[in-house]
Amino acid sequence: MSILSYNGGAMVAMKGDQCVAIATDKRFGIQAQTISLDFKKVFDMGPHLFVGLPGLATDTQTVMEKLRFRKNLYELKENRKMSPKVFSSMVSNMLYEKRFGPFFVEPIIAGLEPKTFEPYVCNMDLIGCPNEPEDFVVGGTASAQLYGMCEALWVPKLKPDELFETISQALINAFDRDAISGWGATVYIIEKDKVTVRELKTRMD
Amino acid sequence: MFLTRSEYDRGVNTFSPEGRLFQVEYAIEAIKLGSTAIGICTSEGVVLAVEKRITSTLMEPNTIEKIVEIDKHIGCAVSGLMADSRTMIDRARIECQNHWFTYNERMTVESCAQAVSNLAIQFGDSDDDGSAMSRPFGVAILFAGIDEKGPQLYHMDPSGTFVQFDAKAIGSGSEGAQQSLQEMYHRSMTLKEATTASLTILKQVMEEKLNSSNVEVMTMTPGEFFHMFSKEQVEEALNLVVPMEKSQGDLPAAAASKATANA
Amino acid sequence: MAMMNDSRPHYPDYSTAGAVQHSFNPYADNGGSVVAIAGDDFAVIGADTRLSTGFAIYTRNQKKLFKLTDKTILGCAGCWCDTLTLTRILNARMQMYEQEHNKTMSTTACSQMLSTMLYYKRFFPYYISNVLVGLDTEGKGCVYSYDPIGHCERSTYRAGGSAGALLQPLLDNQVGFKNMQGDAFEKVTKERAIAILKDVFISAAERDIYTGDSIVINLITKDGITEETFPLRKD
Repeated sequence: MSILSYNGGAMVAMKGDQCVAIATDKRFGIQAQTISLDFKKVFDMGPHLFVGLPGLATDTQTVMEKLRFRKNLYELKENRKMSPKVFSSMVSNMLYEKRFGPFFVEPIIAGLEPKTFEPYVCNMDLIGCPNEPEDFVVGGTASAQLYGMCEALWVPKLKPDELFETISQALINAFDRDAISGWGATVYIIEKDKVTVRELKTRMD
Repeated sequence: MFLTRSEYDRGVNTFSPEGRLFQVEYAIEAIKLGSTAIGICTSEGVVLAVEKRITSTLMEPNTIEKIVEIDKHIGCAVSGLMADSRTMIDRARIECQNHWFTYNERMTVESCAQAVSNLAIQFGDSDDDGSAMSRPFGVAILFAGIDEKGPQLYHMDPSGTFVQFDAKAIGSGSEGAQQSLQEMYHRSMTLKEATTASLTILKQVMEEKLNSSNVEVMTMTPGEFFHMFSKEQVEEALNLVVPMEKSQGDLPAAAASKATANA
Repeated sequence: MAMMNDSRPHYPDYSTAGAVQHSFNPYADNGGSVVAIAGDDFAVIGADTRLSTGFAIYTRNQKKLFKLTDKTILGCAGCWCDTLTLTRILNARMQMYEQEHNKTMSTTACSQMLSTMLYYKRFFPYYISNVLVGLDTEGKGCVYSYDPIGHCERSTYRAGGSAGALLQPLLDNQVGFKNMQGDAFEKVTKERAIAILKDVFISAAERDIYTGDSIVINLITKDGITEETFPLRKD
């Protein structure tokens, strides 16, 4: 079994109309054994910027700290906020630095572009190959299930409340068919003037 | 028949010039020496009743088993060489379980009879499948069962021929008993009537006096499937049988009206 | 690095190839997906028609549904040569049953027989995702799904094959109404089932390269079997 599926986890981000959403499960386990039900793997990197790091839990935390460090340094040096696109490039570069001894995470980035507030989603593999599609990105051990769900449920120009419903249904139904993700979910809806964080109740088995 | 006896009655797979297989015919004769067994099929279910020959007072009657369960839904009464019958019953049981295992459904009574028939004709020369049996089975069997076609009764003889019957008698008293069945059987018979009738006929053809230890009774019904009568139930059923001296004449009518006469 | 510690002399002219291990993989993955949905009085099954190996497509027009009786259909995805063999043996077994027992096999009997047939090859399995659909003896629609070694489960809907993981959660949601609130869940009708089937295959064809070209849909009702085809993307 791949080290990427050692801890389990499912994650998805979707574009909407002037909004973007990122949703994740909350399980932390060691192979089939569930250890905790409130493991954080989506982190805010700015008012309109979130990064999710599904994969090996220890690398999730290490990569998050390294990214936060680099982003803070950028913001101090440049005296301006980091845009999602720039952040993605930074993540990609950082991962590729470890091309032959990678961090076992496949990041998902969701945010709104500064000024225009255009939605932005991106995901990449563990060595930083970026993918910036028009609709949605998925990651984690339930990615096949998520692709099936998102491909059927997602439509363009979803309003924030519709986007919430869509991303929630996609995530929950996907991870219900994955033995090593689930156990609660968190959804972040990112809009121009607010970020809504909602905890979802799901089946716990 | 024995006048035509010749060299041809030796080999089990050698036809005589008249086109007969003597060993098979002799086996059919052999079953006419067996204890009598009667089966009646009604719309409510099938009843089997057999005589047990208690040849010694020191014998333990319970150990004679002439009615056996093949599966929940199929029971058999056997007459003839009991040792032979064991082999056939084993085969029937195995075939029923195999069918259930493979198809998750109950084997039909006809298919069960067919399966045993396949075994019954495996006498003769040995072949690729191993050594063959030296002679035909000296057994007659009544299959009583329930499947999607409802209650059914099949009879099979040593030649492996099997035929469905409404009512059938086998064994030493079979000729007389079959005659009586012909007279007493009717399509609207209840199971209770059939039970009484089978015991009445058994009583007629048996040499010993009928009692609860020298007879076995089994009913096969859609509700209960294989049900062997306990000693008490046999006694209860025997109470409905009219005593011999009072039963000259119309048997079924007398049995119905004087149910408790012999209490 | 191990050679560094080896003090024996090395003569290239006299070197031999030594023992070479050869191997043969008896299985091929020819892809394909099967989706089945059962209702109170019907069963519907669909399979894509792409037959492929890796990045190559053998044909865009391969039927993967096999009619066993007037009310039972088997859908197969996986190793195509195993599918061919299994279905030929199955057909022989169906005919033998019919002749031995003077009746057509019920869907439940088929399901059990398939399970035992797969299990009999427990240590050299048929590498197939099987989905069996039909009407049971009461006329109710049923779906049986199998793993390659004969585990059998009865359900009301199933996605199997290369896009099984993509489609099963979608069916959970759209047919099983999982994680939906309220209680006004209508039973899935024939028309709705076929519409869902087409939708999920369109989704599968987007993301699964082993699924596409078109689908063949069979609908089983008490009146018999009807067939229709529906195009999918071909890339």
